[in-house]
Amino acid sequence: MSKISAADFVKAFQKAHPKAVKSIESTDPRRANLVVNNESFLDAAKSLRDNFGFLMPVSGGAIDYPDDNRIQMIYYLMHPSSRFMLTYRVDLNRDDPNMPSLTPVWEAMSFHEREAHEMFGIEFEDHPNMIPLLLPPEWKGGHPLLKDFKGEGKQ
Amino acid sequence: MNSNTLFAGTLTSLVQANQFSLLNIPSMIIEFLALNSKPLLQVLLLPGLGFILGFAIFAVWFERKFLARAMLRVGPYYCGGRSGVLQVFADFLKLFMKEIIIPASIDWPFFVAMPVFLSTIPSLALLLIPFDSNWVLWDVGSLSLPMFFAIMGISPLIPIFSGWASNNKYSFIGAWRVAYMYISGEISLVICAAGVAIMAGSMDLVKIVEAQRSMWFAVPQFIGFILFFLGIFIESERTPFDIPVAEVELVFGWRTEYSGILFGFTMMAEYVLFQAWTLMFVTLYLGGFNGPVIMGMPTASHIFWLLAKFMVLVVFIILLRCVFPRLRMDQMITLGWKYMTPLALLNLFFVIVMKMLGGV
Amino acid sequence: MREPMIKPDVMRISWGPQHPMSGQTRILLDVDGERVHRIIADLGFTHRGIEKILENRTFFSGIIPVDRMAMVDTANMSIGYVTAIEKAAGIEVPERAKWIRTLVCEMSRINSHLYAFGLQAESTGYFPAVFLWTTVDREILLDLFEELTGARWSFNFFFPGGVHQDLPDGFREKVLKAVKYLRGRFKDYWGAMVENPLFENRCNGVAILEPKDALRLGATGPVLRGSGIDIDMRRDEPYDAYGDVEWEVITEDACDVMARTKVRFHEIGQALNIMEQIAQKIPDGPVKGRVNAFMRVPEGECISRVEAGRGELGFHLFTNGTGNPYRVKINSPTLRNMYVFERLAELNEVFIADIPVIINSIDPWYLDADR
Repeated sequence: MSKISAADFVKAFQKAHPKAVKSIESTDPRRANLVVNNESFLDAAKSLRDNFGFLMPVSGGAIDYPDDNRIQMIYYLMHPSSRFMLTYRVDLNRDDPNMPSLTPVWEAMSFHEREAHEMFGIEFEDHPNMIPLLLPPEWKGGHPLLKDFKGEGKQ
Repeated sequence: MNSNTLFAGTLTSLVQANQFSLLNIPSMIIEFLALNSKPLLQVLLLPGLGFILGFAIFAVWFERKFLARAMLRVGPYYCGGRSGVLQVFADFLKLFMKEIIIPASIDWPFFVAMPVFLSTIPSLALLLIPFDSNWVLWDVGSLSLPMFFAIMGISPLIPIFSGWASNNKYSFIGAWRVAYMYISGEISLVICAAGVAIMAGSMDLVKIVEAQRSMWFAVPQFIGFILFFLGIFIESERTPFDIPVAEVELVFGWRTEYSGILFGFTMMAEYVLFQAWTLMFVTLYLGGFNGPVIMGMPTASHIFWLLAKFMVLVVFIILLRCVFPRLRMDQMITLGWKYMTPLALLNLFFVIVMKMLGGV
Repeated sequence: MREPMIKPDVMRISWGPQHPMSGQTRILLDVDGERVHRIIADLGFTHRGIEKILENRTFFSGIIPVDRMAMVDTANMSIGYVTAIEKAAGIEVPERAKWIRTLVCEMSRINSHLYAFGLQAESTGYFPAVFLWTTVDREILLDLFEELTGARWSFNFFFPGGVHQDLPDGFREKVLKAVKYLRGRFKDYWGAMVENPLFENRCNGVAILEPKDALRLGATGPVLRGSGIDIDMRRDEPYDAYGDVEWEVITEDACDVMARTKVRFHEIGQALNIMEQIAQKIPDGPVKGRVNAFMRVPEGECISRVEAGRGELGFHLFTNGTGNPYRVKINSPTLRNMYVFERLAELNEVFIADIPVIINSIDPWYLDADR
């Protein structure tokens, strides 16, 4: 895939998917942030992989904003030739966080989605193997990385 | 057996002379000991109990010290002065006093019996090795070579039984690896030994050694020499062929569930097998007990030469342990079937041709 | 464990935590004879909840758990977190401190790679000769660490704004002597491992990872560079003094276990070069900036990516104006490589005897996968 700088990528993606993008910016020559709407999440991901060349999955995590009543799921992707990192984000409702899984697009996200599920309670649809990754099998404490987590055994 | 008939004659003449009274008991005891001295000496010392146990102890200590130097360590350092010779005794004593843990779901009789067989069956085969023309403990005459292979053919069955009896997935994998390894490796050894027997004209081990008086069989049968040398490693499961007991893959292979003195037996058995096969290698290819007579004592010097050749080989084989990593199972099977068996047949062919042309 | 169902004609072996070569994890192998059909990695045995711990600690005291994410490679773990805090707070680091940080990071990398060699040699059945040689050689580096920082592992030497102490007297000569000694040992290791025909037998052609698969499955570190793709965070996102010294990114094209081992070998060589250049040319100056230990960082977020011994380590730091971070997301290299390990059984024909060799060529350190 040819090299494309972060700023050019921002403009190109904005032009290609104007309705999907909630906010997109490039704060640094090696970083780009992209927040998409929930409906076009999977299509934008496929377009990122096929049209824009983000072949390399790096990681995936989530962050909890109890004040805004949202959980933001972040996927970290890297462009192999341009070497800049894109954080691909989507906001989920905190009371009912479910979203389509990105494993059909980048299969290496499987482990990271399992971890997000057990740590935040996010439900991923179409995930091939949703079993807990890090927590022990007899865990009964809720989701540890939420801000109102009080410890194992206390709900 | 000339000396024995001399003593037997003395006793019978005493009895016939009817001088049998209580005062004769000490001399009768001395007569008995002198009559049976040589077999007693053979059973207790050489090549019987004393030799086998003594070698096991020596080999364990030597291996630990020698390999420690290769790994920039010192090995046993505290028991028995700086050399650590008493460490092996300390370890065996400790193993005797440990609890033997037997899981509930294993096959009890097989599990406990196998380590005992493991050390005793190779010891039985070891008794066939001649240390001198008339110093053979188990003298079966012209059947000694096939007898050795017949007994050693039973020895792979024991790890297989104990692996199955342990009811443990690691032991089970170790058991079938033993089966694969011995099937691939043992055929070429038997064919090489057949080549030696043809060249010597007899299957008696004493006659095979005496046929090497002019030239060791290693020289005309160098292919067989190399293959049988590899065979020592395969049969006694030493690195680079310690595949059934690969500690980094299967916790301890077929030995996993053994603890306490049963574990001690399995460790000792490894050295007994090693001893038996190395002695057989020396007998078949390196001239056995042949060697120049020292100080006019033919028996003792023959024993000395056999032990000297044996020791040199032992040091070399132990040294190879720290140099080579291990083979993989499919590489071992490829080696056994693609390379060793055809080469052994080639060796046999050469020997037959040489014999028919009336050469050696 | 609620694990996937076993198919009827395979046997599932649990290479559990009590195993000589499994590390601190459990790996399930679906085995049919000697052939492995499926690998399932069961992580989480050493999960300590570092991400949650960091939310309750100040920035300075948060460096302590981060150090313990990979003890054999400590400096590279903490440099990531410290760089993220510095970027978020806009703190400048003095020049000499940057060079000292690079020196300690490269020593840490050599430590990590030597440990990986020892395990790699032991996994092929090499009666632990090479493993013990590497332990002896690592002592030289650990003595240097002790003299510089006071601790052998987990030394908490970096903080946002500099390093805790300057180099003691005579340290530069000791570093040069250590470099010379390790270069001599390099030949021994090369001969004992790469040129040993039985080791080549075990490692050549085993577990081939094509470049496109390496990218698609998210490999990182020597696993990625052993497949010919040159991505190295020290060059792509230069931090500290990596832009000021001369070194190269090492890649190999053979894509198998031997290629990854060779990548680690040559990376040790490059690290020794960097250490030598730093010991000779380090600039003078202060080593600590003025920083408050109970600092508050303005609201924002910041991603920092560093190259640890095992691969790319990322810290995504969210701050909200208080003295504690709001959230720290750690992108661990071993977690990415463990996914590659699981898929290797489908891409290649793998035997049970290959499993320890493959694991140690990927060089996992489960404490940073589990965090």
